Amino acid sequence: MRLIRNKFLAVVISLIGLGVGQLYGQSALDLRINEVLVYNDSNYVDDFGVHSPWIEIFNSAYNTVDIGGLYLTDDLSQPMKYPIFKGQPITQIPPRSYIVFWADDKPTRGILHLNFTLEAGKTIALFDANGRTLVDSVTIPHSVIRDVTYGRLVDGGAEWGNLDKSTPNADNDTSVKVLAGDEFARMDPTGLGMAAIAMTVVFLALALLSVFFKYMGKVMSIDIKKQLEARAAAKARAGVQAVVGEEEASELELTGELNAAIAMTLYLYATELHDAENTVLTINRVSRTYSPWSSKIYGLRKFPN
Amino acid sequence: MGESSFFSFVIDHVSQFLSYTAFANYTMGHLIMICVGLIFIYLAIAKGFEPMLLVPIGFGILIGNIAFQPGYEIGIYEHGSVLNYLYFGVRYGIYPPLIFLGIGAMTDFSALISNPKLIVVGAAAQLGIFGAYAIALALGFSPNEAGAIGIIGGADGPTAIFLSSKLAPDLIGAIAISAYSYMALVPVIQPPIMRLLTTKKERVIRMKPSRAVSKKEKIIFAIAGMILTTSIVPSGLPLLGMLFLGNLLKESGVTKRLADTAQGAMIDIVTILIGLTVGASTQATTFLTVKSIGIFVLGALSFAIATFGGVMFVKIFNLFLKDGNKINPLIGNAGVSAVPHSARVSQVVGLSYDKTNHLLMHAMGPNVAGVIGSAVAAGILLSFLG
Repeated sequence: MRLIRNKFLAVVISLIGLGVGQLYGQSALDLRINEVLVYNDSNYVDDFGVHSPWIEIFNSAYNTVDIGGLYLTDDLSQPMKYPIFKGQPITQIPPRSYIVFWADDKPTRGILHLNFTLEAGKTIALFDANGRTLVDSVTIPHSVIRDVTYGRLVDGGAEWGNLDKSTPNADNDTSVKVLAGDEFARMDPTGLGMAAIAMTVVFLALALLSVFFKYMGKVMSIDIKKQLEARAAAKARAGVQAVVGEEEASELELTGELNAAIAMTLYLYATELHDAENTVLTINRVSRTYSPWSSKIYGLRKFPN
Repeated sequence: MGESSFFSFVIDHVSQFLSYTAFANYTMGHLIMICVGLIFIYLAIAKGFEPMLLVPIGFGILIGNIAFQPGYEIGIYEHGSVLNYLYFGVRYGIYPPLIFLGIGAMTDFSALISNPKLIVVGAAAQLGIFGAYAIALALGFSPNEAGAIGIIGGADGPTAIFLSSKLAPDLIGAIAISAYSYMALVPVIQPPIMRLLTTKKERVIRMKPSRAVSKKEKIIFAIAGMILTTSIVPSGLPLLGMLFLGNLLKESGVTKRLADTAQGAMIDIVTILIGLTVGASTQATTFLTVKSIGIFVLGALSFAIATFGGVMFVKIFNLFLKDGNKINPLIGNAGVSAVPHSARVSQVVGLSYDKTNHLLMHAMGPNVAGVIGSAVAAGILLSFLG
């Protein structure tokens, strides 16, 4: 039993471990190479005032992800070409935020300066901390334009293209956005559509509960145990009737033991029979007045353990 | 020379001190809000209207409207002030789910489980939310503001605060005050509408007594209720998840200490904090606006529409029910989730027409369904407008 319990615990712990590992993996896997500038003549400058190529990474998750410990490379045969520093506050990417690396081949200039540069036709890749799991990659097309960034049309989206505006550390989609509420009001200015849809959903949710509990109540009212007992009792009754029938059939086959038992019962009944008891039972209330002098606790010499 | 400089020094500092006092900074708005706070406290103590809520809110209004010079980290809207830290729980919607945990641990869903058809009455009363939303849109409120105002009709303070913190944080104070005020005024708002919409014959309908509900059913309700409702509206998860967790703590029977804490000390602490901070957020400088007045008017309308929706739905529902199974429409008002006040209104109005017809337990069904319904409605508004 203990062995089974231990095995069960081991399985649960392993599953939790796998889950945690998966969660961690999912966080790192939520990072995306989001935008690159290959030829920087007059675009953004780095912290040294130099126009350098850059790579923007986007955290598509809704939790902070630490990019420290992962690897950036421009050569898939060398996945661990540039190890991103661990334990730096700057490598913590907030939810739905960005980090920009300068691909200037000058790694001595800081942790955001890579040891390679960008060129058209190269594949840029981001590898997980194990150096084997590919998190994301992009092959820079030969059609890239000088000072125009190549990126995902929507942050974290699947489609790539030359972007209208360079947006390091900002949303790639620079079109004017309409708030969901404003869009809803534009489509449904009176609010009647909202009322109809929302009331339908509220009714649906509560009707679902209602139906569930209606039938659950019926199922619960079926007492399976009682039914089984009733069935067993019916079977037993049928069995007894069968036995009685058999006994009636073999009425003449009385054994000696049975005759002796019947005789003994009759004898006891005849000799012990009486109508009135000769003992009088009297119940009196006994009251004892409490006195501390008679209490045993005052006479204790030994302290209780 | 020395003496005159000392006196001028003292006079300068005394006058500076006086300029810092509230007396020097009071405006008409502050005084009006202090009067409002005093009325709340009076209604709570003298009239017994929702004292648990109105006392902390009323006192919070007083605290929020003691005038001061800004810049000393005193006011609720000043970064770094203690009140600002406490207000964090309102602004980020932390307190409402905690209150829902306590409500779940307090609520007995037996009435609802024993007569599941009453659940849909709780849905009908949510009409108030969307009716007020449409009217608020027509009055020129933005869609997000209209959604936050509409939820007042759900008659659920924590839900109203939760949704307005997400959709219209600037209106939290006005919406919360409006929601709690009208919850306290349920016995005044609802009975005339109930009488207006029902006939004498309908008011004396006797309903079948509820069946006994087993512990197993209650436990299944807490789990299945959470899964079913949040699967339809995941954005209602913070409220519904906590509500059903609280209920499971109560009904499981094995977590008595947790249930006692949730429905006792914890909900009391959070109620004090939410009441105080919501009250204090009504600082005259930000609260006394035309919008706030509009919100109060719309709040009253949404309660009236919700009551109308609940009562009318029962009347229509009765057309499809056999004699003997009919529902007394006086319990329709209980679909607004002011637990248990609106159920108590059903009972009182019902008894005034038939002294032996007790509707309280029947009304508790739609009443607690209303809690679920308003949380679902909040989830829908959040997913459409958020």
